[in-house]
Amino acid sequence: MTCLVDLMRPEVGFAALQLLERVGCTVVVPDGQTCCGQPAASAGQRAIAVALAKKAVAELEGYERVVVPSGSCAEHICNGYPQLLADEPAWAMRAQAVAGATRELSQFLAEHAPDFSPAGDFSGSVTYHDSCKGLRGLGIKQQPRELLARLPGLKLEEMPECEECCGFGGAFSVKYGEVSTRIVDRKCESIASVGADVVAGGDLGCLLNIEGRLRRRGDETTRVLHFAEILAGEVAK
Amino acid sequence: MFFQQRAGDKVRNPVLQQALQKARPLFVGKRAKGVAALAEDGLDGERLRDACAEIRNRALADLDVWLSLFEERALASGAEVLWARDGEEAAALVVALARQHGVRKVVKSKSMLSEEMHLNAALAAAGIQPVETDLGEYIVQLAGETPSHIIAPAVHKTLGEVEALFAENHGRPQKTRNSADIPEMTREARGVLREHFLSAEMGVSGANFLIAESGTAALVTNEGNGRMVTTLPPLHVVVTGIEKVIPTLEDFATLMRMLPRSATGQSISNYVSLLTGTRRSGEHDGPQKTVFILVDNGRADLLGSDYQDMLRCIRCGACMNHCPVYFSLGGHAYGWVYPGPMGSVLTPLYTGIENAVDLPQATTGCNQCGSVCPVRIPLPKLMHRLRETQVERGLRPLGERLTFKAWGWLARQPRLYRLFSRIAARYLGWLADPAPDGSRGGRRIRIFGLAPGWTVGRDLPVPPGPTFHERYAARKRV
Repeated sequence: MTCLVDLMRPEVGFAALQLLERVGCTVVVPDGQTCCGQPAASAGQRAIAVALAKKAVAELEGYERVVVPSGSCAEHICNGYPQLLADEPAWAMRAQAVAGATRELSQFLAEHAPDFSPAGDFSGSVTYHDSCKGLRGLGIKQQPRELLARLPGLKLEEMPECEECCGFGGAFSVKYGEVSTRIVDRKCESIASVGADVVAGGDLGCLLNIEGRLRRRGDETTRVLHFAEILAGEVAK
Repeated sequence: MFFQQRAGDKVRNPVLQQALQKARPLFVGKRAKGVAALAEDGLDGERLRDACAEIRNRALADLDVWLSLFEERALASGAEVLWARDGEEAAALVVALARQHGVRKVVKSKSMLSEEMHLNAALAAAGIQPVETDLGEYIVQLAGETPSHIIAPAVHKTLGEVEALFAENHGRPQKTRNSADIPEMTREARGVLREHFLSAEMGVSGANFLIAESGTAALVTNEGNGRMVTTLPPLHVVVTGIEKVIPTLEDFATLMRMLPRSATGQSISNYVSLLTGTRRSGEHDGPQKTVFILVDNGRADLLGSDYQDMLRCIRCGACMNHCPVYFSLGGHAYGWVYPGPMGSVLTPLYTGIENAVDLPQATTGCNQCGSVCPVRIPLPKLMHRLRETQVERGLRPLGERLTFKAWGWLARQPRLYRLFSRIAARYLGWLADPAPDGSRGGRRIRIFGLAPGWTVGRDLPVPPGPTFHERYAARKRV
């Protein structure tokens, strides 16, 4: 479970659990898990990132599949761990194995349960924001859209520049608040231009960023949701 | 470097924002179209990128060999070849050449390296007039500024600003112009520049590539002024970085399929000049003397380093054209010659990592730059490596170092980590604005003292209370 989901939006975690259980998985959230180390790695704090990568590899390697409801954390496990641990052969192999078993949630559902039909009774229009790490790091593009499109009543409206960065970038949004705001403004304009009821995405960081800006701009109605929440049908319309 | 402060100024500058807002979709759309059109020629864009990267890697792997071949062939064609360790030395060479030949005016085209060398200042200090002749550079020079983009140097200027500059410098009353008047404004500039082409005794240009097998400088331009600069004055000086050499003409042909498409979306640019040697007997034009000045200025240090990939750069500008940060700020915020993602890598490497600490941090890590780079430079990875080097060299602020240290420790103590997140969730809830009825438990935080940057422009959504792990543990106990 990712730190942001744990702290900011636990509903996303339970939605993910529900979806996984519905497709027949036994799901375990390991007790000891904490941060995957992505923020440290991205800040260049290699020693800390390596320590946290080892901790996570040791915790996750016992499982058949590791499913993460976040493109950027999944990307870090898949691409970051093998790089961080490349210099230590024994760890490198273990990291490779965990990376090979790791999938972002929509990736996993598309692969493992191609006939999955979501239970939700959502009605309304949804526009999808492609998060950078998921999109360019893991090639996630169609999976969440196809899953969402299976909900009867849900209409997907593509916004212009859906693949553009929202300006979150972890610490970037705090360090360069004004620049980040300028970037997310463009995203808000794209969202407004299609007038969808919901902006969906697969990364809580981006979603908090977009939601925070929409609200500050005075948009109180456009909902900002993780796709798992919609698919799990736990979104009261 | 005061990137952070400059960034704020740029974001708040409405005229700049208007100029950038207009330019960006043009660049992005044109490149996408240009790359898609490769299919019409039966070419696969991704394979072509591989081929271009491979050509550049091949050149860099034996850079000394290709450079000495270039020198040999250039000498054989009648040109002169000089070497400069850094920008200062290169500028001194140009000034010395100008003095030797009694030059009073220099026309210039297509050289970012001359910005690295501060060539205009060096020439002016020696009493020699430098005249920029690329339209964008000409505008920037009139404004007393530096380029803000490597292929569209005046992209930060609006039409109104350019009109005001022209009116003032061309000695006529200001008019109200719109985009339909751009051709007329271009003609006006051309009229002024024509005089300069005819009266300058020396032309200075860069080169997009140096072709080793023939001792040729390849120049890719759209305005035709490059041809004037390189053929009209009796003396032509080419200043380039040593990394610009490629082995063969065939390599050039391959790279040319990618360069203009990446830069402007064109399948080929309006002018492609291959300049070899000097005017031969019986020829009507061309310089009587050609001098190549091959400049290192930090490049050789990158060979064999973690950053060698950066030397593949062919200066197309695609990375900045696709960068959300660049197009929120323009190029001047980056504080040195090269802006955008490529500049965020090059500036610290060329000017010293400690002199550009902000730049490798000035990225969201979105990798739009890496995904469009025609020679597959892993720009985010290089910026990330620079961040690691900053950490290794203790260049990060104390607060940041301590935060990561504490976080790294905490994240290895799961029980404490859980406690910390539980407290954080309650604390954030406590910070929330009151709900509309005045009670606690509103939905957002408007001012967050721990990360003021966030609430500069955004509310922080409030966590609902118990964390996921708390609820999960409770569920398991039931």
